[in-house]
Amino acid sequence: MTLFHFFNCAILTFGPHAVYYSATPLSEYDTLGTSIKAAVVYLITALVKLVCLATFLNVSETDSFDPYQELLKALIGFIDVAGLYFALTQLTHRNISQCHKFQAVGLGWAFADSVLHRLAPLWVGARGLEFTWDYIFQGLEANANLVLSLSLAALGSLMWLRKNKPKTLIPIIYACAGIVATMPSITSYLRQGLGWHLPKIVGFELFTSLAMAFISWQLFAACQRPSN
Amino acid sequence: MANCPKKVQNSKPSSVLIDPVYSSMITLLIIVMACVEICDAVTVVDVYRLVQYDIGGVPFGSRLASLNHHAGSSLFSSSSGAAADLSRTVLILPVRELNLTFIKEYIAQRKPLGGLLLLLPPAFSPNADSVGGADHDSVKDLMKEVLVELEQLLIHANIPYPVYFGFEDDGINTVLADVKKNDATGQLATATTGGYKLVVAVPEPKKIASPTIANIQGWLPGLKADGDSNQLPTIAIVASYDTFGAAPALSVGSDSNGSGVVALLEIARLFSILYSNPKTRGRYNLLFGLTSGGPYNYNGTYKWLRSLDQRQRETIDYAICLNSIGSFNNDLWIHVSKPPENAYIKQIFEGFSNVAEELGLKVGLKHKKINISNTRVAWEHEQFSRLRVTAATLSELSFAPELLQSTGGLSDNRHFVDEASVSRRVKLVAESLARHIYDLKGKDINIFADNSSLAVNPSYVRSWLDLLSTTPRVAPFLSKTDPIIMALKKELADHTIEVNVQQEVLDGMFTFYDSTTGRLHIYQVASVTFDLLLLLVLGSYLIVLFSFLVITTRGLDDLISLFRRPPSRKVKTA
Repeated sequence: MTLFHFFNCAILTFGPHAVYYSATPLSEYDTLGTSIKAAVVYLITALVKLVCLATFLNVSETDSFDPYQELLKALIGFIDVAGLYFALTQLTHRNISQCHKFQAVGLGWAFADSVLHRLAPLWVGARGLEFTWDYIFQGLEANANLVLSLSLAALGSLMWLRKNKPKTLIPIIYACAGIVATMPSITSYLRQGLGWHLPKIVGFELFTSLAMAFISWQLFAACQRPSN
Repeated sequence: MANCPKKVQNSKPSSVLIDPVYSSMITLLIIVMACVEICDAVTVVDVYRLVQYDIGGVPFGSRLASLNHHAGSSLFSSSSGAAADLSRTVLILPVRELNLTFIKEYIAQRKPLGGLLLLLPPAFSPNADSVGGADHDSVKDLMKEVLVELEQLLIHANIPYPVYFGFEDDGINTVLADVKKNDATGQLATATTGGYKLVVAVPEPKKIASPTIANIQGWLPGLKADGDSNQLPTIAIVASYDTFGAAPALSVGSDSNGSGVVALLEIARLFSILYSNPKTRGRYNLLFGLTSGGPYNYNGTYKWLRSLDQRQRETIDYAICLNSIGSFNNDLWIHVSKPPENAYIKQIFEGFSNVAEELGLKVGLKHKKINISNTRVAWEHEQFSRLRVTAATLSELSFAPELLQSTGGLSDNRHFVDEASVSRRVKLVAESLARHIYDLKGKDINIFADNSSLAVNPSYVRSWLDLLSTTPRVAPFLSKTDPIIMALKKELADHTIEVNVQQEVLDGMFTFYDSTTGRLHIYQVASVTFDLLLLLVLGSYLIVLFSFLVITTRGLDDLISLFRRPPSRKVKTA
């Protein structure tokens, strides 16, 4: 019965990635290789971030919100952006269109993030007899994370891959990219500084991810019009 | 949007390379994680199992150990007056609110039950603050009576499901309150409705192969006169140190017979002081015996006596057995099996009552004839009497206990023993013995006077009582070199010489089974319907997501075409 729960939470956490891959034209163009390369880049980025965190951060005994530590964590979070830049620009992708490239990279990025951060707790925790809502919320968080990764990849591809952008939209693009990149810091501030509980945080993440996705979609569409 | 031609060949080698790495990494991770113990229960408590034993092949006690059922809180469901089907439910019953008649009927009619968890008040825990003394209230006494009755009921019944004892604490109380609330709605917790699940994961109980009993003896040799000391008469002081109770892991037996053991050790200490100086050494040998196997018809005493050399046994003038001398009341009884008119008995009794009068205690004499054909040995002195050795038992119990009664069970803990009482009785016995040894009859001499170097040491009494009250001592579960046996041996060796531990196998009539403690995990589980519902919701979410994505990226026609492939062929050919 508890494996049942594990199965439920697993399909909630990893199902959307598979569905996204199969539902969109990504599967038709067989962009699995791109996604896997993006996942590997994410792993390396995560390792680099870990090393930086271990070196520069000092562990606080209390669970309180320390602005300096959070600032440092946010700065290190920009390594994420650097990794995404590397995945989008430096890796040799096969000849796929820009809009598919960012989707594949974002998908691979989000999948690696889910596996790394959520598979182990799920395996250890959801199989026990004890029932908690935590793993369902974790799955919802993974969904929000997928949308956020896709929006960040879209904005990233707009920033670095598209050469002719309407001048007025550039600051908006950079601003949105900044917001999406600092989303982890914002959530940790809400969790520790304001003391929000898990359901509230997950709700906030879902809402903001959908909002950012909508905005980046509009920006992408707007940038696409001049080139067509 | 540019249409890229599919290049299948290029992607294959890279994915073939990466996939095994990925999958093996994940497999390794999974294996590592599987080894991590899952301990995420609502609460985890130590529980102690009801004893499981056979007498002559007849089974008694709880016959099962592992537990894995849902929790319930009462014998009856609220909706109907008749008892509900509880064969897959574990009942959590606090002993404070227990209705003994219901339990008696339930067990007597052998109704099926998944398991029973009895919650004892925290004051009865061996690790509770031992604030014994005089502040025992009527509530505790009432509780003691209930526990005694419950214990006798449980150990003489054959119960085919696991029975565990636990102590009330905050975690378990909240769980119980929750379970009661759920039961009040009339719905028993089962696999389909969710609720709390109690799990005790222990292996199946096995027979204990050869349960050993260890008798410890020590000598204080008397002063040799002109002849050799082998012909000096001996006085034996004996106490059995092991216990038996409904929960072997909780049977500390502070009064039965912790008080007797402590008294014996203190008497040994006092006489060793006297005997260390040849000028004050008496003309009697003193033999101290700490015997095991007390609850089982004093099997240990039987074996010990037969191991003694016949000549040694014949030199025993008389033996004093100590059994339960620690309670708060002042009455004491000397139990004998030779008729009271016997000269020796009269002598012993007069000696004791004279001293008792001076100390303000009351001692009575009780006579119980031995029936040789009856295997039941109610008092330790009967084992001596069967070998024609004069003996008496000093006890606060006024009549002979039945088999496995008054053997130091659940209710016998530190709160019900008064160390001042024990000290007074020690003084009584020591003084009576000394007057006999040194032939001081009739003279008003106080050998073990308070504030002298031979005074009874109250902190010695207290520390040994405290130690014994935290050590369960059921003989079959003590190993050959158990710490308590070694401690008693060392203590006796401090005061006496020729200390010897005799290891014997317990009489074959009694068989015991292991597994006396366990850890109870209480989980809050969701019902199967919840999981199915969740699966339904997630399935529909994924389907909606899929359709949404197909519609937005490829168009509605593509979605419809996914479901209408076969008919489209027919349309084409036609």
